[in-house]
Amino acid sequence: MDNSNVILSVKDLVVKFNLRGKILTAIRGASLDLYEGESLAIVGESGAGKSVFTKTFMGLLDANGWIDSGSILYKGEDLAKYKTEDDWIKIRGKEFAMVFQEPMTSLNPLRTIGSQVEEAVVLHQGLTGEEAKQKVIEILDDVGIQDPERRYYQYPHEFSGGMRQRVVIAIAVACNPRILICDEPTTALDVTIQAQILNLLKELQKKYNLTIIYITHDLGVVANVADRIAVMYAGDIIEIGTSEEVFYNAQHPYTWALLSSLPQLGVKGQDLYSIKGTPPNLFNEIKGDAFAPRNDKALKIDFIKRPPYFEVSPTHKAKTWLLDPRAPKVEPPESIKFLRRKWKVKANERSE
Amino acid sequence: MLKYSAKRLLQSVVTLFLVVTIVFLLMRLMPEEGYFGEGYEKLDEAQREAILASMGLRDPIHIQLKNFYSDLFKGDLGESIIYRPKVAIAEILKSKIPYSVKFGVAAMAISLVVGIPLGILMARSKNQLWDKLGTGYIVFINAVPAAVYYLLLQLYVTDIFKLPILYNPDRPSSWILPAISMSLGGTASYAMWMRRYMVDELNKDYVKLARAKGLREKSIMVRHVLKNAIVPMVQYLPTSLLYTVSGSIYIESLYSIPGMGGLLVDAIQRQDNTLVQALVLIYSSIGIIGLFLGDILMASLDPRIKLDRKEGAR
Amino acid sequence: MANSIDKSIDESLFEFATYDEQQAEMTGYSNYSYWRSTIQVFMKNRVAVFLLFLMIGLLAFTMIQPFLPGQKSPTEIHIDENTGMQLRNHPPDKEFWFGTNSIGQDLWARIWSGTRTSLLIGFFVGLWEAIIGIIVGALWGYVRRLESTITGIYNVLNNIPTTILLILLTYIMKPSVFTMIFAMCMTGWLNMARFVRNLIVIIRDREYNLASRCLGTPTRRIITKNLLPYLVSVIMLRMALAIPAAIGYEVFLTYIGLGLPISIPSLGNLINEGRRVMGVPTLRYQLIFPATVLSIITISFYVIGNVFADASDPRNHV
Repeated sequence: MDNSNVILSVKDLVVKFNLRGKILTAIRGASLDLYEGESLAIVGESGAGKSVFTKTFMGLLDANGWIDSGSILYKGEDLAKYKTEDDWIKIRGKEFAMVFQEPMTSLNPLRTIGSQVEEAVVLHQGLTGEEAKQKVIEILDDVGIQDPERRYYQYPHEFSGGMRQRVVIAIAVACNPRILICDEPTTALDVTIQAQILNLLKELQKKYNLTIIYITHDLGVVANVADRIAVMYAGDIIEIGTSEEVFYNAQHPYTWALLSSLPQLGVKGQDLYSIKGTPPNLFNEIKGDAFAPRNDKALKIDFIKRPPYFEVSPTHKAKTWLLDPRAPKVEPPESIKFLRRKWKVKANERSE
Repeated sequence: MLKYSAKRLLQSVVTLFLVVTIVFLLMRLMPEEGYFGEGYEKLDEAQREAILASMGLRDPIHIQLKNFYSDLFKGDLGESIIYRPKVAIAEILKSKIPYSVKFGVAAMAISLVVGIPLGILMARSKNQLWDKLGTGYIVFINAVPAAVYYLLLQLYVTDIFKLPILYNPDRPSSWILPAISMSLGGTASYAMWMRRYMVDELNKDYVKLARAKGLREKSIMVRHVLKNAIVPMVQYLPTSLLYTVSGSIYIESLYSIPGMGGLLVDAIQRQDNTLVQALVLIYSSIGIIGLFLGDILMASLDPRIKLDRKEGAR
Repeated sequence: MANSIDKSIDESLFEFATYDEQQAEMTGYSNYSYWRSTIQVFMKNRVAVFLLFLMIGLLAFTMIQPFLPGQKSPTEIHIDENTGMQLRNHPPDKEFWFGTNSIGQDLWARIWSGTRTSLLIGFFVGLWEAIIGIIVGALWGYVRRLESTITGIYNVLNNIPTTILLILLTYIMKPSVFTMIFAMCMTGWLNMARFVRNLIVIIRDREYNLASRCLGTPTRRIITKNLLPYLVSVIMLRMALAIPAAIGYEVFLTYIGLGLPISIPSLGNLINEGRRVMGVPTLRYQLIFPATVLSIITISFYVIGNVFADASDPRNHV
């Protein structure tokens, strides 16, 4: 992956909200490069700012939120400067599309499935009438809806949750976007349906040449689909790398904590690890490393100065003082050590 | 849909029967002098009893009920006693209803034409000037008894615009103020509900999806939000329309419009029991019929509706 | 990207800090109190706070008004000393602040007496609505055997228009303050009962309450923590709204001739008296004064009630 196929580049983005007169900083200077054709997963606890971060790309922040500073470069334009609806109309749907978390409420209950997909087809593919309808049926078929000719005329309440999510995906695909943002696409669904939806997204990615951003708090989803992982905490991306790097060679104590709380990594007979404390209050100014108060091995500097990115490999970097050469050696938890041993084995396999 | 309508119809018929029966029974407690025309004072106890018995009012209650229903099915609402002695009530109604319906429909049209756009405007400028002005208006209309502002309007607006104070069938200028006054309440409630439903709809996820799809705010409003916000209001339109029959008690008596509203007041003040009974029964049934029609209309607009909604949870 | 090392940082900072569990938790959100938040949100609405104080003042004034010096009886008919006739339609002056009515009674005294009557009706209607509503609503929600019966009764009664029932009841009963309160209660408790019932069904069936119960929370605690705050706020709202509604109905019933006897001054009676003479421009004060006082009262209670309802909705709490 070289820089030439970066299609979206976010730099030092700061997003603030005004909540009843109090200012909340939801995104605190996050940066991200997105490569064409990849699937990137943004993981983190709820409230970390994952959704807000991606909403800024489409100008979908709630009315009380705004981009305070930073840039979002896409096709040579800075989306952070966009203000009017006319600006955003060029982006929404056409370039970026979104799949939301709640399939049960994401569709208009009073209009047929067909008309809701068709709206996107008419808007972004320039088709009308019978042609548009045929296109809709084709897309419905693509997202795995059986008997699309009949389903075209049905209403959302006649669909199950999984089926509705397919329709929402169909709407996104019908826009013919370059980048698809999936905001917790499977969280509200049954486990069996989750896998189907993820597979569907993978297929569609190939068929329609999509770049996909997954937002999730479920590392299981990530393992299934993502090429790269960005870990978000308190409005910043604190570690980013390829899936393997982040899974097997995590560097930030928060990523460790996140991985350690996976049930699959628990040691039999021991209590499952859980992260202590609560995420920081974003109404307050955060000094140093936002995770420091919850980290029982935090350094003094973690409370004073915000760590920069330290590069682990050309594709892997993390914001933690532990990577500074002056830092003491900190033993990661057992489960992380276990993962690192696996990483070494993999690395050896690769070099052979 | 057909099954739903049939079920709903059955339910309404049962309710209607119960309501009419209960109201009829309550009406047996009406003061007795209301069954006599002039000269109640001159009659002695025995004569009074004889008259009451001749009207069937001394029969056992279930006989009275049976007679009442058999008359009702023949379309016989009885005769007026005092208001226009010995005239069939149906006859009286026939002469009155057109006036009430004319004014009622005009007022309703004004309410809809003003109230709905006002509600939309308020929802779109939430917490800004228009919203605050509209809210002020709604609060005033809802809080202050209608009689008070009707009186003040009649008092001052007729002065300022030199409009006639009383209704005159030959002078259209005398129709304006009653119709406008009558529309004020409806305007307030349409605006209030429209605003509420619009705000509700605007916060829903499908609006976010529509926006993410690349629809403009205007198209989202027109194609998604407006329709969805109006549908729940449609439910109450048949009831409002039917109630135009009853007329506005205040307006009709203030402006001397010879309609139904004034009739009820006259009947009460002159204690014409049979007339009061007929009117009360008509008005109580209107609500049930209106609700039934509203539900059917709703069901035809909202594909989700089946009869699984728990009654009483409405 | 090469890892640049910031030389300005003191080496000693790369030591372990002491872990403070409290600080880890402290970062979370503030402690929350339902009533404090409710009052806070309410207090933010300046208009409502102003009206609340206005109403408290007015309430206190109507109570003590008869005992103040120089007040006249609301029913005494004043006689003109010069002519020996009734002091009819005497315009407002130093002696009669709001003038006299068409039979020579002091309008100022009548307005406050009428306000007392109307507030009394509103207060009792609100109270009885709450009592009946809570009892019926609780039975409706809790006792499953009664559920369908009460639902049936509710549906029938709810289908009779309020004004019609009011007219019917006041028509068959003797006009009095009691009749007024009784008729309004008969129509008003329905909403309250439905509301209480819905609350109880929520308590019974909502996931968080089920969870609460599974965790061993005693029913008493669920009721005091989850049900009571809502209930108290709803009762306060209904009481606040019962007053403008009662005044409105009283005006209406008086207008159609089913109101209180003329000997009991009430806002409805005063409006009605004012209406009779409003054709004469110099006598319009007899309508304007009571109408103004009435409007201030009804608007104030209406606004206070609604702002309070908003404030008591947890979704509006920060």
